[in-house]
Amino acid sequence: MKSDIANDSYLLKEESKKLISLLKGKGISEDVIFDIHVGFEEALRNAMIHGNKLDINKKVTVEITLTDKDVIIRVQDEGDGFEPEKVPDPTLDENLLNERGRGVYLITHLMDEVKYVDGGRTVVMKKDFDSTVRKKTENKI
Amino acid sequence: MNIKSDNKNGISIVRVEGNIDISTSPDFKKHFKKIIGDKVGTVVINLEKVDYMDSSGLATLVEIYKNMRKYDGTIRLVKLSDKVKGLFEITKLDKLFKIFDDEALALDN
Repeated sequence: MKSDIANDSYLLKEESKKLISLLKGKGISEDVIFDIHVGFEEALRNAMIHGNKLDINKKVTVEITLTDKDVIIRVQDEGDGFEPEKVPDPTLDENLLNERGRGVYLITHLMDEVKYVDGGRTVVMKKDFDSTVRKKTENKI
Repeated sequence: MNIKSDNKNGISIVRVEGNIDISTSPDFKKHFKKIIGDKVGTVVINLEKVDYMDSSGLATLVEIYKNMRKYDGTIRLVKLSDKVKGLFEITKLDKLFKIFDDEALALDN
């Protein structure tokens, strides 16, 4: 399932609703759906705001591969890319009061496997449907 | 998102229903403008009916916390679902916010 979407928070929510609706029909636990929901919206938000910088001439490409045991989500923007390892750790005491920087951290810790490719313009993340533990360390696909 | 406010012994109680996310965070923040303007010392935010929150929602709460801290105000969060509470634990924001299981406990504390 592949789609191109414009930089619009309404479309972000619509795309998210479609994914959640698909997942709810597969008998997946509410906890796992919640994690995918947050991870997906954070990735889309990062792509629209930080990647495409809300440029109306740029789009976000979403590709979702759904199987009986997991979902792999690929979100690609048309921005300049970024280095995820340079995003400050929001959980450090000195960063707790920062209002930004938690999106990437949540994706890493809610999804089972996460990798950034294409200079940070694309994030690929996977969630197993039988996942019971929110990951505490960074994972790579 | 639906927000209802109440006042008990000088403490503001804010009961939220719905999501606190990229779409609703601006309205959520707007609701606290008067509370912060009036320098209310303690605000209890009941999140029992909040099923979903994202990093925008967390950021908005941090912003409210920072604005209240300027005049020594405090926020107490109440009745978070396990899923939402998990977000506070993962991001370590449970170190910043006092979290209570019960509204009465938050009011008495």
